[in-house]
Amino acid sequence: MRQASRRAALAMLLLAGLAGPGRAQAVDTTQSCGAPAELLEAGGVALPATARAVQEGKLRILVIGSASVFGPGSSGPQAAWPARMEALLARRFPGLATTVEVRGGRGLLAAETAGLLIAELPVLRPHLVLWQSGTVEAVRAIEPERLTDPLNEGAARVAASGADLVLLDQQFSRFLRANTNIDLYREAIRLVAAAHGVPVLRRYELMHFWAETDRVDLERAPREMRVVVADRLNACLGGAVAALIVDGIAEARGKVSARP
Amino acid sequence: MAPGPGMRRLIRGGGGGRDLRVDFFRGVALWFIFIDHVPGNALGSLTLRNLALCDATEAFVLLAGYAAGLAYGASMDRLGWGLAAAQLARRVGTLYVAHIFLFVVFTAQVGLSAATLDSAAYLDELHLDAFGEQPYRALLEALLLRFQPAFLDILPLYIVLLALLVPVLPLLRRPVLLLGLSLALYLGTRMSGANLPGWLHGGWFFNPLAWQLLFFIGCVLGYRPPGAPAPAVPWHPVLIGLSALLLLLGAAALWATWLSPELMDALPEHVAAVLIEVDKTALHPFRLISMLALAYLLGHAVPTGARWLRGAVAAPFVLLGQHGLPVFCAGIAFSFLGRLALEVSDRWAMQAAVNLAGLLALVAVGAVAAWFRLRSRGTAAPAPPDRRPAVVPPPLPDGAAAPRIAP
Repeated sequence: MRQASRRAALAMLLLAGLAGPGRAQAVDTTQSCGAPAELLEAGGVALPATARAVQEGKLRILVIGSASVFGPGSSGPQAAWPARMEALLARRFPGLATTVEVRGGRGLLAAETAGLLIAELPVLRPHLVLWQSGTVEAVRAIEPERLTDPLNEGAARVAASGADLVLLDQQFSRFLRANTNIDLYREAIRLVAAAHGVPVLRRYELMHFWAETDRVDLERAPREMRVVVADRLNACLGGAVAALIVDGIAEARGKVSARP
Repeated sequence: MAPGPGMRRLIRGGGGGRDLRVDFFRGVALWFIFIDHVPGNALGSLTLRNLALCDATEAFVLLAGYAAGLAYGASMDRLGWGLAAAQLARRVGTLYVAHIFLFVVFTAQVGLSAATLDSAAYLDELHLDAFGEQPYRALLEALLLRFQPAFLDILPLYIVLLALLVPVLPLLRRPVLLLGLSLALYLGTRMSGANLPGWLHGGWFFNPLAWQLLFFIGCVLGYRPPGAPAPAVPWHPVLIGLSALLLLLGAAALWATWLSPELMDALPEHVAAVLIEVDKTALHPFRLISMLALAYLLGHAVPTGARWLRGAVAAPFVLLGQHGLPVFCAGIAFSFLGRLALEVSDRWAMQAAVNLAGLLALVAVGAVAAWFRLRSRGTAAPAPPDRRPAVVPPPLPDGAAAPRIAP
């Protein structure tokens, strides 16, 4: 039913989109490994600071999170999803100077990454923050408020700095699903995003889709294929994040051009 | 359609004299708890948590309070505070042992799924598993109830709630005082943020100092003073209207967050921001009131003697609800198996198999518990509690005289 309601919401959004100003750019799904378009959209949320930065030719992105921002298990930092995303954005916006800074560490709680974020905001002055969280809280069965409180504070700080924010939810794995109360923590991230009007990259649903359709399934990859599959997973994720950013930029431009 | 003669014999008070509504809804709550404890279960989007700002946990605690008020209140009136308290203490001990058993099962399940994964590198966070890092310490903390892994958080709450009932049992006869004290503790807890200590981070997932209010409300509703009718909140159009409005608002708020942020901006309150504040840990007033409103509406919508409560569809759930403890514990254990099964495959065939096997297994546990109770008490329709002898000889199958325990 939850899925159904979301579908209904998306259908309404699509209808609204048809009636309103046309999208500047359709989302390119070839780089995101066949993921359904609904998972690559910014959900009707604009990324105005990012759009402006692209217009001006200089885009600074801060990626923050726990282990997965470094693409563990892949062949190296160039294969991790932030680097893949950067490459795709460079291809999409020729001439744009993009810098991507990655901060975080294995096992960091949202409270800790929020501290990192708040410390880095005035130093790096990003136009766009990509904040991944929620896995460590779920694994340790920590009270959900200890996830939502720092996310709320961090989101408010990012908004105050004038930057855009995209939240990334947890990775999908059958292990996490079987051994943690993962849905509760996914829900927490979704609510924070809704409260602050920021998009969520629904990584859990993306990875679930890829695993279900046998596109990318790291958990079931044979040992000798792990690095190859991890690289592919990161490439697909990079593509999905880039698609969401492009959609958010298009949304911002649509809004601007729709103004009288 | 009436239940088969076998199941009807197993149901307590099927002929009247017992409020089967409580048993039925408790059974449904137990079933929902099983479903909600299997992440990835397709039925998980059909349970109460998707429709209201409360879920099966609240229903379970309220009805557990009801059952405790009914049973131990009657015990106290019949045998005195001392014996009733001893019975309660024995129950607490049973729950504690059950919890530790489930903890061991859970740990084995995590170990099993981790072993089948071997070293998937992208799951780095996996290594943070507390039991893997400090097994001896984790064991000690589990015994102290300070370490509660995911999904093993309801029984510790129930243990503390029953233990809290021991000293205040006589206050069941003074419900206003009991609820006053309970409310004061709830408010103090919410304002101070006090909680029982956890091991790794923060306090208990379900804070007993807050949840006790719902439990004691259940106790007061369940307790029947000798010679007096059961207490009930009377039907009143204003209360009915308010309850319905509250539940509708809660459902609307839940559903609104699934729609676009633009739509949410148009709403008077920022719905998601409000929803984030509705914490489960310290039983946010919305959750408490939602549960009470739901119970009030259902209590008046379903008459005590509703025919369908004695029908075949309701029968399995009534049976589950009449044997809450074994069914609850078995449900948690079965949910581990369900999770392992969905780890292998989450396609519809496995989903159907898990849910069908889960429900059947729960009903089987309820049936065995009922059969055992019948055999050990030797009566299909027990006398009202105040006239039931404390010890009844078990009937022997061959009709031989049973050894008498009572003088």
